Amino acid sequence: MTVGGDLRAQTGTAPSVDLSPATFDELNVDRPWLVIVWNDPVNLMSYVTYVFQKLFGYSFAKATRLMLDVHRKGRAVVASGPRERAELDVARLHRHGLWATLEHQS
Amino acid sequence: MTRRQRPPVLVRTDDGFALSLSPEERTLLSSISRQLAGALGELGDAEQQLPTGLCRLFPVAYPTDPLAEESYVSLVRADLLAHHRNALSLLARTASATHLAEDEAEAWLAALNDLRIVIGASLGVTEDMVEPSPNDAKYDEWLCYDYLTYLESLVVGVLADLLPPTTPIADDVTPDDPWGDPPGDLRWDGTPAPPDP
Repeated sequence: MTVGGDLRAQTGTAPSVDLSPATFDELNVDRPWLVIVWNDPVNLMSYVTYVFQKLFGYSFAKATRLMLDVHRKGRAVVASGPRERAELDVARLHRHGLWATLEHQS
Repeated sequence: MTRRQRPPVLVRTDDGFALSLSPEERTLLSSISRQLAGALGELGDAEQQLPTGLCRLFPVAYPTDPLAEESYVSLVRADLLAHHRNALSLLARTASATHLAEDEAEAWLAALNDLRIVIGASLGVTEDMVEPSPNDAKYDEWLCYDYLTYLESLVVGVLADLLPPTTPIADDVTPDDPWGDPPGDLRWDGTPAPPDP
């Protein structure tokens, strides 16, 4: 018994494999999804810091640094991980009124 | 002449917070939260086209991927809408309360933030706003926005004191910003901000 081999020779038909870039994107576990928070002129700085502490368990110092990155640079990566996890984090940030998006790390 | 100081708005108690607001403040909070909850109540759960004034309460997750965004909206829109509506309804219901449980105070914070976001968007708030003139057609709206800023700051302060201790490793697992400083001012969706007029 062999493992692998030519599937076409065994079945007579080519296996159906989705080789689209999107599929490779999904399978590429080495490239995490980034949770990005963008600056906006309405949310209070103290509120944004509080949300980062509450949702991600960051220290006040870390949450403040991220908040200042958002404020000064216009955006900051506040979390990263598998797509499902990152999407959940974005949804939690949206519930708190923050401008959050997902991006696949390049 | 001495000026009478107002009592603290929120004071920690054994089972939540004592709430002290004037009748005028309570009337305002009840009225505006009811209005916004009503406006949200007119939205269908899966409605794609949101009124401009309410868009900001439903941020985009995938600004450059319409298909992924559509899927995301179908997953979270109903829950997000219910979250906003519930918080605003609770604020309207408890605006006259003298005591708030901890979860009610969190709902107040969510509702106050929603109200600031919607009013701020309506006013076109920017980072460099100057103090509005009493002659401004939207002066009352500005006063309301400023009041909400004051009240939200207080609520954030008392709730931040209740946060659990920091997760020991949480600070170490977030990647550093991979981009460094952006090349210029960016808007929230990553597109370049328009030049100052």
